[in-house]
Amino acid sequence: MKIKKLHILVLNLILLPAVTISGAELTGLQIVEKVYNRDTGQDSKGILTMTLTNSQGNKRVRKIKQFIKDFGKVEKSIMFFMSPADIRNTSFANWSYTEEGKDDDQWIYLPALKRVKRISSDSKSDYFMGSDFTYDDLGDRQPGEDNHKLLREEKFKGEDCYVVESIPKDEEYMYSRTVTWIIKDKWIGLKREFYDEDGELLKILKIRKYEKISGFWTILISEMTNVQKKHSTRMELSDVKINTGIPDRQFTERMMKRGL
Amino acid sequence: MRNRTFIIAGILVFLLAPFFGLNADSLNLTGYVRNYSGMLFTEGNDFAIIRNTFNLNLDHSKEKVAFKVNPYIYQYQNQDLEIGLRQAYIDIFFNFMDIRIGKQQIIWGKADGVFITDVISPKDLREFLLPEFDEIRMGVTAFKADYYIGDSAIEFVWVPVFTSTRLPDESSIWKPRFDLPFQPEFDYSRQKVSESFKNSEVFLKYSTVTSAVDLELMGGYMWDDDPAMHTVKNIDPATMQPGSITVIPEHHRLGLVGGSFSTTLGSYVIRGEGAYYFGKYFLSEDSLLEEGVVEKNYLHYLLGVDFTLLDIKMSVQFIQQLILDYDDPIVNDRVENMMTFLATKDFLRETLFLELFTYVGLNNGDALIRGKVTYKLADGFEVLLGTNIFTGDKGMFGQYNKNDMVYAKIKYSF
Repeated sequence: MKIKKLHILVLNLILLPAVTISGAELTGLQIVEKVYNRDTGQDSKGILTMTLTNSQGNKRVRKIKQFIKDFGKVEKSIMFFMSPADIRNTSFANWSYTEEGKDDDQWIYLPALKRVKRISSDSKSDYFMGSDFTYDDLGDRQPGEDNHKLLREEKFKGEDCYVVESIPKDEEYMYSRTVTWIIKDKWIGLKREFYDEDGELLKILKIRKYEKISGFWTILISEMTNVQKKHSTRMELSDVKINTGIPDRQFTERMMKRGL
Repeated sequence: MRNRTFIIAGILVFLLAPFFGLNADSLNLTGYVRNYSGMLFTEGNDFAIIRNTFNLNLDHSKEKVAFKVNPYIYQYQNQDLEIGLRQAYIDIFFNFMDIRIGKQQIIWGKADGVFITDVISPKDLREFLLPEFDEIRMGVTAFKADYYIGDSAIEFVWVPVFTSTRLPDESSIWKPRFDLPFQPEFDYSRQKVSESFKNSEVFLKYSTVTSAVDLELMGGYMWDDDPAMHTVKNIDPATMQPGSITVIPEHHRLGLVGGSFSTTLGSYVIRGEGAYYFGKYFLSEDSLLEEGVVEKNYLHYLLGVDFTLLDIKMSVQFIQQLILDYDDPIVNDRVENMMTFLATKDFLRETLFLELFTYVGLNNGDALIRGKVTYKLADGFEVLLGTNIFTGDKGMFGQYNKNDMVYAKIKYSF
């Protein structure tokens, strides 16, 4: 199992309560910042089920229990792998800092080794657990890393959306551009197209289901399809609880070792 | 008889579980079944190992208490089943403290594949360092208490009964080589450490996790898991020359203080671990010594770095062992250096894994090169093909240079 840059799967799928802002006043960058800087609550927990489907239709399922808490200057998350059986009770902790330029700190606990090991968080383009999501796709990419342009406004799936094109400032980045449909009053990226280095369509992210939980819009089902490799990943979030007052000690090495 | 007791106990656990409020929802049952077959590169291609394993993890937890039992069965061809408990413990959780009582594996330190401050759980070396590390480390019956202050912890471990390293049988291909002029006789009369309070072992560790660094400081008063090989030369009265040699294995008390750290430097993870040992016995050729051993202090430390290069995860460790106040007749070198190299890469959406791990003994120019490829055919089901190559003709790895082997493991996890 490869874990390098694991992102905050719940918080980044949680969206701001409806805010009314005139689209005419917003640039592409401002729209993306609205999505990125949304209020996510003090803490959250939930169970994430990832279903990977390959071109032959074979499926593999990964299940993760996760906890996230905002500590002010640092946001801590901890994940426990529930299945498949050979990685059960593996846990992963991430400390993400508000300080610009400061890398995340990450640790992994492998039950067979019975040791918490610090790991490097250097690769954002790696795929998360063999899925179609890179760590960047899961929401960690900062708005300042791309040039954003509002292409148009249009209705999509019955919602008024901004359509924003984002082109990476780093020419070596794995995508040449992305195009995102963002719901105007909810700041949800409802659909996103990813284009490869040759400008060909590589992947499509679609949001299948979202609901308001404890006052926060939460994406419950999303699906990423790699159209070139005909591989897809469905992410389903369940048992979501927000602002329940998760104690600080839930985010320590002690709990990583204790497991589920 | 032992087997029957075990099976009956297992059945009772399942039958009585509902009466203790344990049901299928709350009782976690995980484990694996594995076939492991290895073949030597020798002329006849002898089988180095054929073993079937059943490993079970049974655990249950409530808010303040939990238990875990980890029985295992090894089945070898034409031998009795080997049945054991790797772990069997009870946890008690308080707000700021956890207590664990029972047979448990306790792992300290930051080193990979090297044991420096990781001294509590003794090693099962019946197949040298080749098994998985959770199979090499034996559980010890211990009382362990952890007191937590934020991201720091103080851990106290009391091991009332000493357990020594488990060594290979006389007939095993992994029996360590003894370079003596005569076939020695063994006298095991002094090897046993009696089971008494005064012979117990204690350990203390302070650990902290911060953004900048993870740190551990530890100390221990223990028994040396490896017996010192006291050697007595029996003089032949007729020739006044040594006629035979008697080796008397004996465990001695050992004290140590040490620590370890781990930090990131850009995309590199830097690790270090070291310990100062008080009172280790070393073999010596000093003829004035009555039993051919001498007591010295020594330093054992490691520096390591983990990094990614061309999408390959790599790790390099340098390990040094230094005997202080060294005397020339000591058989070990004053300074012994070793390095380890690890490279891993995955393919096909983390279903195919390649790994190369190498120990290199710098003093003797010997090495153990371990390559393996693992393919996960389905979730929880994997096939592994690997090879162990020993190079050199002396030293820790060179002594096994006739044991080069290829092996396969098929594992089903549930």
